[in-house]
Amino acid sequence: MGDVFTNLGLGFGVVFQFVQWTPAFLGGMSIPIPVNILLCLIGALVGTLVGVLPGIGTIATVAMLLPITFGLPPVGALIMLAGIYYGAQYGGSTTSILVNIPGEAGSVVTALDGFQMAKKGRAGPALAIAAIGSFFAGCVATVLIALLGAPLTKIALAFGPAEYFSLMVLGLIFAVVLAKGSVLKAIAMIVFGLLLSMVGSDIETGASRMAFNIPELADGLGFATLAMGLFGFAEIIRNLDAGGETDRKLVQEKVSGLMPTGKDLKESTPAILRGTMLGSILGILPGGGATIASFAAYTFEKKIAKDPSKFGHGEIRGVAAPESANNAAAQTSFIPLLTLGIPPNAVMALMVGAMTIHGIVPGPQVMQKQPELVWGMIASMWVGNLMLLIINLPMVGIWVRLLRVPYRLMFPAIVIFCCIGIYSVNNAPTDVMIAGAFGLVGYWLIKHDFEPAPLLLGMVLGPLMEENLRRALLISRGDWSVFLTRPLSAVLMAIAAALLVLTVLPALRKKRDEVFVESEN
Amino acid sequence: MNATPGHAPVKSIIPKWVRNPQEFVGGIALMAIALFALWASSDLQGMRGFSFGAGTAPRMFGFLLLGLGALITVVGVVTEGPHLAKYHWRGPFFVTVAILTFAFTIRPMGMIFAAMASFMIAACGTPETRWVETFIVGVCLTAFCCLLFPYALGLPLQLLPSFMIR
Repeated sequence: MGDVFTNLGLGFGVVFQFVQWTPAFLGGMSIPIPVNILLCLIGALVGTLVGVLPGIGTIATVAMLLPITFGLPPVGALIMLAGIYYGAQYGGSTTSILVNIPGEAGSVVTALDGFQMAKKGRAGPALAIAAIGSFFAGCVATVLIALLGAPLTKIALAFGPAEYFSLMVLGLIFAVVLAKGSVLKAIAMIVFGLLLSMVGSDIETGASRMAFNIPELADGLGFATLAMGLFGFAEIIRNLDAGGETDRKLVQEKVSGLMPTGKDLKESTPAILRGTMLGSILGILPGGGATIASFAAYTFEKKIAKDPSKFGHGEIRGVAAPESANNAAAQTSFIPLLTLGIPPNAVMALMVGAMTIHGIVPGPQVMQKQPELVWGMIASMWVGNLMLLIINLPMVGIWVRLLRVPYRLMFPAIVIFCCIGIYSVNNAPTDVMIAGAFGLVGYWLIKHDFEPAPLLLGMVLGPLMEENLRRALLISRGDWSVFLTRPLSAVLMAIAAALLVLTVLPALRKKRDEVFVESEN
Repeated sequence: MNATPGHAPVKSIIPKWVRNPQEFVGGIALMAIALFALWASSDLQGMRGFSFGAGTAPRMFGFLLLGLGALITVVGVVTEGPHLAKYHWRGPFFVTVAILTFAFTIRPMGMIFAAMASFMIAACGTPETRWVETFIVGVCLTAFCCLLFPYALGLPLQLLPSFMIR
């Protein structure tokens, strides 16, 4: 227990660090500036700003804003990225409540009841409850990360290559089971991602693989490049198809009366508690994340409600539960990333990419060697949530105004930002072209109902999986049974196999589809 | 909204016995990708004893994708499903051209030109564009980018065309 407090103390110490700023015009006087808090604040603001734009989800937002952290030291950059991430999440909910255009799958369910509330002139309470629920979930999740971080890191150190490989297989299977849509297609997308990750130089022999003598490909496909193509450009193209203007029914009533009534609070408190619990658990699972959490929380709330018919017509619990759940999950999904070094979902995969750009390889080693980095980031999560609560509620008016900017002006601007962002990663024009190509690939995938998120996950896990598979087989002298004879690895593999079998069984498949059925309405 | 009014439903070139064209075509495309990858990695060394060669993993994933693609294709034949979605050319075309323009002009012409040019080209992607308004927004945005990226964020981006610098 004492450990947890020391660690959190270290984290808050990093976040509340002051840097003395001595500008010339003050004549030698120095002003202490809380740099990391400012970075967190800017991150949360900018994240919300971009996340609010309709049709831009969390992944696209984080990918687009990556370049603004390049000039910072690693700790500051990570804190800012965490801020961007929460801001983006919150921005997505704002859009779903006010415009009924969820930026990503995770906020689809928020739109169901949130938009109905907004239509009744209760957008204020809906937004407030979303923020309060998210903040509460954020607090719980922060404590949870602090509690689980150290013990999980110890387990991770006992992992050999065989265990790591099995864990990644399990994570990918989880990702398939918890995703929506066809299982077969999701697996295919993961394998496509794995295949794409093979492009570039082989880690052991240095042989050039599928690079066709193009020098820019020798290092492999850039992760940020791919993400921006698949989620940024592809989304823009798809939105142009759908007709940016026609289906934007922005709530015209003024957003007034932010404060929820006592009845609202009483009704939503248990929902927030349940949502937070469900979200925290689903977030830790490999392959879990915000999307499944919010769907599951909504379905659960509806199931236990005395009068389920109210849901979908502006029920405040239908906003409180999924919003708390998705924020809790968004945060606890950092646990597998920070302790095991394995990203559980596409957003975390993007975080790996971001950390790698800053020269950090996430995993148990970071936890031990650079504790100030990890704990600083964890503490900043809580600070970030607090800031969202403080800044965003008064600023709702500004976001509403931003939503009125027509799409015909917005999308060329997004194109330019993405281009500059991709170019600035390596100063390579080729990267921009590759991202453009993947934009078209992503558009094609959407048209054929393939989910691009598993692809991104496969892309990040590919090199890790290959490395561990190779090592495991080298140590066992080519004996493939090593994955089944080592007890820990065998358990992980057994869970993975059982999950896969269960998913194919019709009974569970029905349950799974039930969870996602809300998105069809 | 699309530029081609009276868009007739896409004439199906897919045989009648395919009941879920979306999956059928998707599966075939994945198989094609897998075959391409297998061909591209065919020159790499495979297993040597029990140690992996450079080509082992790519081939493994390639064959896996080939199998999955085949399965999806089969599913496309035996299950009922939606028709191929309509593709529009205008959005994808102009956005792609804008991206390419940026990629080709950023080095020789600098960011002011590249950003402005690709903004205007991207704006062609929708028929709703009003030119005066778009031009003004484009100028403002370019100015904003030129202040934000090189100055506020300190990224090494060149603003002016290189012939003007030398």
